Amino acid sequence: MEGATYQRFPKVKIRELKDDYVKFELRESDVSMANALRRVMIAEVPTIAIDLVEIEVNSSVLNDEFIAHRLGLIPLTSERAMSMRFSRDCDACDGDGQCEFCSVEFHLRAKCINDQTLDVTSKDLYSSDHTVVPVEFSDAGTGYENPEDQRGITIVKLRKGQELRLRAIARKGIGKDHAKWSPAATVTFMYEPEIHINEEMMETLSLEEKTSVIESSPTKVFALNPHTHQVEVVDPEAYTYDDEVLKKVESMGKPGLVEVYAKEDSFIFTVESTGAVKASQLVINAIDVLKQKLDAVRLLEDTVEADDQFGELGAHMRGG
Amino acid sequence: MGAIEDPAILKNSVQSTGGVDKQFLAAPVKSAVDKFQLLPEFLKVRGLVKQHLESFNYFVKTEIKKIVRANNLVASRSDPSVYIRYTDVWIGKPSEIVDGVTDSLSPQKCRLGDKTYAAPIYVNIEYCNGSDSRMMMKKEVVIGRMPIMLRSLFCVLHGKDEDELAKLGECPLDPGGYFVVKGNEKVILIQEQLSKNRIIIDSDKKGCIQASVMSSTAMTKSKTIIRMEKEKIYLILNAFTSKVPIMLVMKAMGMETDQEVVQMLGRDPQYAALLLPSIEDCASLGVYTQHQALDFLDKKRKKSMSRFGKDDGALGVLRDIFIPNIPVREGNFHLKCVYVVVMLRRMMDAILNEDAMDDKDYVGNKRLELSGQLLALLFEDLFKSMNDTIKFTVDKILSKASRSSRFDISQHILKDSITNGLERSLSTGNWDVSRFKMHRKGITQIVTRLSFIGAFGAMTKISPQFEKSRKVSGPRALQPSQWGMLCPCDTPEGEACGLVKNLALMTHVTTDEEEGPIISLCCSLGVEDLSLLSGEELHSPDSFLVILNGLILGKHRRPMLFANGMRKLRRAGKVGDFVSIYVHEKQRCVYIASDGGRVCRPLVIADKGVSRIKHHHMKELKDGVRNFDSFLREGLLEYLDVNEENNALIALYEGEATNETTHIEIEPFTLLGACAGLIPYPHHNQSPRNTYQCAMGKQAMGNIAYNQLCRMDTLIYLLVYPQRPLLTTRTIELVRYDKLGAGQNATVAVMSYSGYDIEDAIVMNKSSLDRGFGRCIVMKKMSALYQKYDHACDQIVSPRKAQHDPEKIQILDNDGLASPGEIIRHQDIYLQKECPVNPNANSHPSQTQYRTSKQTYKGAEGEPAVVDRVALCSDKKQNLIVKFMIRHTRRPEVGDKFSSRHGQKGVCGTIVQQEDFPFSERGICPDLIMNPHGFPSRMTVGKMIELLGSKAGVSCGKFHYGSAFGEPSGHADKVEDISETLVKHGFCYNGKDFLYSGITGEPLQAYIFMGPIYYQKLKHMVLDKMHARGMGPRQLITRQPTEGRSRNGGLRVGEMERDCLIAYGTSNLIYERLMISSDPFEVQVCRKCGLLGYINYQTKTRVCSTCKTGDNISAMKLPYACKLLFQELQSMNIVPRLQLADS
Repeated sequence: MEGATYQRFPKVKIRELKDDYVKFELRESDVSMANALRRVMIAEVPTIAIDLVEIEVNSSVLNDEFIAHRLGLIPLTSERAMSMRFSRDCDACDGDGQCEFCSVEFHLRAKCINDQTLDVTSKDLYSSDHTVVPVEFSDAGTGYENPEDQRGITIVKLRKGQELRLRAIARKGIGKDHAKWSPAATVTFMYEPEIHINEEMMETLSLEEKTSVIESSPTKVFALNPHTHQVEVVDPEAYTYDDEVLKKVESMGKPGLVEVYAKEDSFIFTVESTGAVKASQLVINAIDVLKQKLDAVRLLEDTVEADDQFGELGAHMRGG
Repeated sequence: MGAIEDPAILKNSVQSTGGVDKQFLAAPVKSAVDKFQLLPEFLKVRGLVKQHLESFNYFVKTEIKKIVRANNLVASRSDPSVYIRYTDVWIGKPSEIVDGVTDSLSPQKCRLGDKTYAAPIYVNIEYCNGSDSRMMMKKEVVIGRMPIMLRSLFCVLHGKDEDELAKLGECPLDPGGYFVVKGNEKVILIQEQLSKNRIIIDSDKKGCIQASVMSSTAMTKSKTIIRMEKEKIYLILNAFTSKVPIMLVMKAMGMETDQEVVQMLGRDPQYAALLLPSIEDCASLGVYTQHQALDFLDKKRKKSMSRFGKDDGALGVLRDIFIPNIPVREGNFHLKCVYVVVMLRRMMDAILNEDAMDDKDYVGNKRLELSGQLLALLFEDLFKSMNDTIKFTVDKILSKASRSSRFDISQHILKDSITNGLERSLSTGNWDVSRFKMHRKGITQIVTRLSFIGAFGAMTKISPQFEKSRKVSGPRALQPSQWGMLCPCDTPEGEACGLVKNLALMTHVTTDEEEGPIISLCCSLGVEDLSLLSGEELHSPDSFLVILNGLILGKHRRPMLFANGMRKLRRAGKVGDFVSIYVHEKQRCVYIASDGGRVCRPLVIADKGVSRIKHHHMKELKDGVRNFDSFLREGLLEYLDVNEENNALIALYEGEATNETTHIEIEPFTLLGACAGLIPYPHHNQSPRNTYQCAMGKQAMGNIAYNQLCRMDTLIYLLVYPQRPLLTTRTIELVRYDKLGAGQNATVAVMSYSGYDIEDAIVMNKSSLDRGFGRCIVMKKMSALYQKYDHACDQIVSPRKAQHDPEKIQILDNDGLASPGEIIRHQDIYLQKECPVNPNANSHPSQTQYRTSKQTYKGAEGEPAVVDRVALCSDKKQNLIVKFMIRHTRRPEVGDKFSSRHGQKGVCGTIVQQEDFPFSERGICPDLIMNPHGFPSRMTVGKMIELLGSKAGVSCGKFHYGSAFGEPSGHADKVEDISETLVKHGFCYNGKDFLYSGITGEPLQAYIFMGPIYYQKLKHMVLDKMHARGMGPRQLITRQPTEGRSRNGGLRVGEMERDCLIAYGTSNLIYERLMISSDPFEVQVCRKCGLLGYINYQTKTRVCSTCKTGDNISAMKLPYACKLLFQELQSMNIVPRLQLADS
């Protein structure tokens, strides 16, 4: 482990922060770091999701597996997830995974008694733990201003006389095992583009040519300054690396008029959460998980412990 | 171009000249009238399987009455005053009689209860029980039960709306057109045949030119051939033992002078020259008079042909079997003579000019036989048989001297023979009608309910006239006359390729129409009657023959005027819509056809290239003032059959019409059928790809019908989350595929990934699968019977009594049946009952001995399924039948088969975690990755356009269209427009995205073509196919491992594999595979005689039964099959001897 150290001190700048959405810059780091963060957010940040369904009565049109699958995909608020135990590691219960430390129980009772179709939604799920409940979409922009209008996520629709009664157990898990445990709806990053316009060359173009350059980009990256009639970069991040501008410039016979570089050490992250964990928390949790994983590398000498903690991963690291 | 130009558009274009409106200029010139709206109207009126319904309706309404009227008298042979006369026949409502109570039937009831959906056939009869008694009448006598086609006139579903259908448990989108027989849905396939009663000129195997007529009348069916052999012309008829000179036949029919024949043939000496050898031939036989000729023919007659009771000699044969479609009135053979001469003339035309030969593959020379006709044939046969049986029994009773009870002939009507006969033929598909010399197999087929569109395909399928093994290319080739009638894409691959065809979207198949009114109409339009014409006048150069359904009516001097007159009458509705009038210039004939089985399609009539349908017509249609029929009635549209199309000049679009144009197509995409209509942009694909998709669309999983969860089919495949395609076509909307889709819109990235995507394999995103992509439900039916015996029956018992493995019976309820909702595993018992040990013993019920019997579930190990439903019903003998539906939900796994709508099938090669998948900076991550190598050789450009269109569709929130040939008429979005939409929403115009690798986070080297494509999951899944075995069952006789997955069989080292091993020299491996692991057997061989001996286990000695000693016996190993062979040879008096050498 001797030799040069590649330690860097990345900087994070948060640009936009909402409950389920965060956009931030990660600077002075490299791809491996950015991608690791992304991967952990998708696959390894734990959440709680329904894992076991015991159906008592189901006279709906959807069959038991169908409903169980739908229940599993309902995001549950999982702030507790980081501190919860995996059922498989739980000592309190002998392996059935139904104790308070590793599971949350839900009940659903719905019966349609009138002629109108009854929508059974995630709102009808009653949790035994008030910290773990189906996610609510209270954020503006979902279209439901009035909380009364919020119907939750439809599980099944019942017609007169149909009934659904079930007990469900939610457990902690990670997205690697099943997508229902993934807290991230979207995690993506892009290299920050650096766009240079050769002003001198640009001045040689006519107004029409300038607009054609501006219009060649499918996204709104460039704009014409109405006063100076100069082509300006208005939104470099709108650039999708589509090369259309470069091709256009090339075809005009002016290579070098516009040049685009990707800044290799800065990334713009977009994270959208399913609502299970707040987007900001998701990033923090991801960093925690990543840290834990890196600890495994540090525990290299203490192989037994590494094996205990990381199982196959530890063995793999020893081998590698 | 466009005939009518909208002034508003013109003005608009003038205004926008300042800044040129590119978009406007690029927009297609709007076709004057958008006739698309006609299509939904057409389908509303006609339905997609109207051909079946129409045919069946015609049968039950009209034809059945004709058949009964033709055979209405059943009289005793011994006493003609004892008789039954049928005065009327009709079909009732579908019902059944249970314990003497009439109960109405619905199709769904029949499907679930394994019943036949049939209605009683009622007759009114008059009868008389002898000369001394009065004539009596009976009304509503049931003579049998007729299976009823769903949605036909007599079906309970006829004319019902969606709610009423739902109440009956029926899917409103189901097209009908099939039968329910013993709980199975059976469709009578459309049968393709050569037209009846038409002269067909072709050549036989030796190249001799011949004219043949397949005659078919209500009385007889026969084939008449006139053939030119070695310059001479002969008649070949089954009733004669050998060929007969044609001139002799002419003389026998009363045309004694050769001159008259030559005169009739026409003035041209070429014809006379060709006939000369035949004339000489006749003369050399010394036949000059009618009498001589008849004598001659009488000798050649097959004597067994007197089936008609009366034997009229050779004249009778000529009258009844020789071209029987030409009637002989009062012994006047003139019409027949003329007909023969016309045949001769056409044949000679073909000899003189090769072009005059008829093409057997020409669609106009074909007729499609539909369910109505086939059922009519069967019914006629069964009805006649029933009458014969009545006659026979009555005769038998009357012949008895003393009768105990009062005789009543009406008591002898049996109703089971017709019922059973119809039911048997429909359920087996064997049409054995010896009365009409018809023995055909595979007429019916089970409606394939794998997917909604598959059921549709079965209804439009046309089964071929030839057997499939024939190695000729002609009938398999695409015929130009198929245009618009038969789908050019939808045909199977392999042996039936090109022979099995499918109807196009707008095709109609005609039913028979009365000839009488047409004949009198023709006469009043100036057709000169044939019987009034002399031979000389027949082929006079200024006139055309008028032929109705193969029958020569006469001639007309101004054929075009006549044809146009007839057409005008048809458009005015004075003649049936489907009567075709066709002027054949070359043959100088006007053909009028009103017979059933012709394919035809609607077209817009144009006068001098100007469409008769104007804007206001379409507006009225939209407002609901008009319907399709009113278009027909007002002469805006008409149906043309293949022959009449030859007289028409049809423009594809109104803009392309010229002065000569007579008709305009309604929509070009109607030339495809329902299955091919699902393909977006098929006109951009390589043709075979569309054909592949037509086959695969039928295997795609999705929704079957609205009542899919109430059905008890043997096997149902359903998709958990089916979607409607983002890129639709007009056909999809018309057949309602958007309501019952069979696939999902998957975001596809066209790139290579992981190496597990070679050979068309696809890489799937695990998270997508977790979220339900490609998830499917497989439901299997299992049934059991509680048999009733004479004195005992199988008993329902509580399973607790039995001492079975409690693990295996835990899903059983108190009645010994698995209860719905229980999880069922491999080897679980799902039914336990008690059977009498000796069912035939006549013991007291309390003393009957029972044994428990059970049925175990055999599914995949480790794949728990669920008992979905349990249904109880009773069969015909009132035995209890229990049906279980076992449901299994599956998520895609490696090896499952998927396909897009462009004939691009592939298996899932690997499943990859989402974080390893490439992603775009918008956060889009594909559901599956397809290798770009799939494109260059397949040339499925349509798939690429589908991707573009779908991508534009999801970004702008609008479904895009891709109907076949739809770009000019606006039923398919153009790539330029799609690109524009893409750019508007921030995508690249070419559909490519900038992706990052999910593994490293680095950008990918290339831009990736990515977007949604509609993917189908096909029914072939690994779980149903994977198989391996170590030790296992063996066959009884050869002791070799069994064959096939279902029997847990071994994997065979076949001949070719063996060859490889030999070539490689691995003798021990061969020995191990072919002997040790197969069927080793120790035999005792006598070294002296070389035959097999045996060990006597009592004396522990080895004996050779031939030598009677055990001195020279050695033991050796042999494959058991080898020993078996020796014994079999010995049984055939062949002695195989083994010569043993020291090893």
